[in-house]
Amino acid sequence: MTTDTGIDTGIDTGIDTGFNKVIERPEIRSIGAYDFPSRSAQELYGDDQLVHVWYDGNPWFVAAACFRAPKAMSFGDFWAALLVPYHEEDPDWLASWTPADFEWGLDDAPWTPDEGASLASLGVGHKSVIRMVKK
Amino acid sequence: MTLTPDKPKAKARKLSMKERYSALTRDLDWDPSYVPADEMFPYTTFEGIKIHDWSKWEDPFRLTVDAYTKYQAEKDRRLYAVLDGFAQSQGHLSLTDASYLNAMKLFLQGVSPLEYQAHRNFAYLSRHLNGPGPRFASLCQSLDEIRHAQTEIHTLSNYNKYYSGFHSYLHMHDRVWYLSVPKSFFDDALSAGPFEFLIAIGFSFEYLLTNLLFVPFMSGASFNGDLPTMTFGFSAQSDESRHMTLGLEAIKFLLEQDPDNVPIVQHWIDKWFWRGYRVTALVAQMLDYMLPRKVMSWKEAFELYFEQQMLGGLFQDLAYYGIKPPRDVGKAIQEKEHLSHQAYWILYQFSHAAAFTTSVPSDETLDWLEEQYPDTFPTYRALWDKEKKNVANGGRHFVRGLPQLCQVCQIPMGFTEADSPFTICQRSVVFEGERYNFCSDGCQNIFEHEPVKFRQAWLPVHQIYQGNCGGADLGDVMQWYGMQPGDGGEYLGSPDHQNWLRWHAQADHSELGED
Ligand SMILES: [Fe+2]
Ligand SMILES: [Fe+2]
Ligand SMILES: [Zn+2]
Repeated sequence: MTTDTGIDTGIDTGIDTGFNKVIERPEIRSIGAYDFPSRSAQELYGDDQLVHVWYDGNPWFVAAACFRAPKAMSFGDFWAALLVPYHEEDPDWLASWTPADFEWGLDDAPWTPDEGASLASLGVGHKSVIRMVKK
Repeated sequence: MTLTPDKPKAKARKLSMKERYSALTRDLDWDPSYVPADEMFPYTTFEGIKIHDWSKWEDPFRLTVDAYTKYQAEKDRRLYAVLDGFAQSQGHLSLTDASYLNAMKLFLQGVSPLEYQAHRNFAYLSRHLNGPGPRFASLCQSLDEIRHAQTEIHTLSNYNKYYSGFHSYLHMHDRVWYLSVPKSFFDDALSAGPFEFLIAIGFSFEYLLTNLLFVPFMSGASFNGDLPTMTFGFSAQSDESRHMTLGLEAIKFLLEQDPDNVPIVQHWIDKWFWRGYRVTALVAQMLDYMLPRKVMSWKEAFELYFEQQMLGGLFQDLAYYGIKPPRDVGKAIQEKEHLSHQAYWILYQFSHAAAFTTSVPSDETLDWLEEQYPDTFPTYRALWDKEKKNVANGGRHFVRGLPQLCQVCQIPMGFTEADSPFTICQRSVVFEGERYNFCSDGCQNIFEHEPVKFRQAWLPVHQIYQGNCGGADLGDVMQWYGMQPGDGGEYLGSPDHQNWLRWHAQADHSELGED
């Protein structure tokens, strides 16, 4: 893309946007030792973790939700106790909907959540993104 | 015994302004002999910037202390005369609408504290830069910035007598979720080295983005009957032109001193363009939604002040040094049709946790927005139509929970993909075993360069979940934020709205005649 003024403004900025990309520690320029822990490490939440839920295709919710949920919580309980109370505020949400009404993704890959299995055993990690799309 | 003073000899010739400036800066400078220079100036090497000759710094403004104070005192006198007159004549009643003040609440909570932080960091530069010219320019800017903080607070304090949301701005600035956006932006600059700060604030904030960050609030004031804020804006303007010059001189000086500085400066331009641009999301929604009488649309402002003036002007000049336009500028251009709509939709559905109010835009505003954004607004308008129905059925769209935040800009992740502009942009990387989430390639790129810095980000949502914000339910958090009932939520029916209607029903407007 080029602007009127002839400046190339290519949107492809060449960054690797792989969702699970692992990055290395770059060189740090500082006036002394600089190594401080994450202010949101999983350990700060005990047996819980943060879980994001992105209702893709529904702009009513301007951003994905962020929940604090036990790692051992079953997906069925997560659905009933956290996900539905948040999303039923949308006037188009139907009380009859179940997880089977949606297609699911986890951290950018297709995903089939089993309602009886725990979030951890289903691969949901700290700050993972669960994506749901209405069928 | 009396002492007779010596008779003055020949009367000393008065120095010219230029000579006095030179005496103040160059003549008061010295080469250290008790300690090596790098002990006296310990912070100007670690960033990798190479400076060979500090005397090459040009001082476009040759101010002296007496000239500075005389000039500023005159401006302050004029400003305070306006403030007094406005207060005495109940000037607040002639604003376009009480809802206009939402823009000023955002300004006082989000921007004025940054003026104070700018004052602090320029004071630090005025001690720690090696060259006497830039040290004195930094000292002047440091004084300007504390005056800006003080005069903004004085200017807006009059509204605190009559309107909600103005009472605890400093307390809120350090705690509230949307204020963590400007706060974390400035904290990032404050915790960087002196040269990065000069590019971050001196160049990017004061030069590259000032017409999109600071000026729109002042134009909004002048269009909406806010004479005090407008007068403050004028009084700051002459300072701002000095700040712009300092920013531009800083970047040219760094680029001319050593070719090795160029890639470092380029990365800072890329980073601080995107950091600053993300903060402008708050300004974009203010221009398009919060102002009852519009100045211009965000898209127009972006095209004029950024695309034409900066990309078309400044970056053509910087190309001489091998500097390219900011890395993610293409995304910002693509977003100009979306940014304000997405940002206001965020604030609208979370304003129950804010110290300003929001409301469904009037039909007049919706039509205006559709004129300004014919390609994209119809899609956003459909959301407002849905919300209007929701309100008619007794609802009001307030999200029942907390949103996902970007690790870098800290804004709820409501921004979208360039190639699919109605799909939320989701990015993440894993660093030393932990996942981090981002709203955009720009924010991801910044994180990848400084993950150890940005993993310490104080993200409001995560802090609430860790129990660090007063408690687990919304009421506890609001109390910890320093909010009072009526500060946030829906504008219609709010205390500000009710008072406004009452004052105007009571007021005798016969002297204004018909119309
Ligand atoms: Fe300022
Ligand atoms: Fe400034
Ligand atoms: Zn971001």
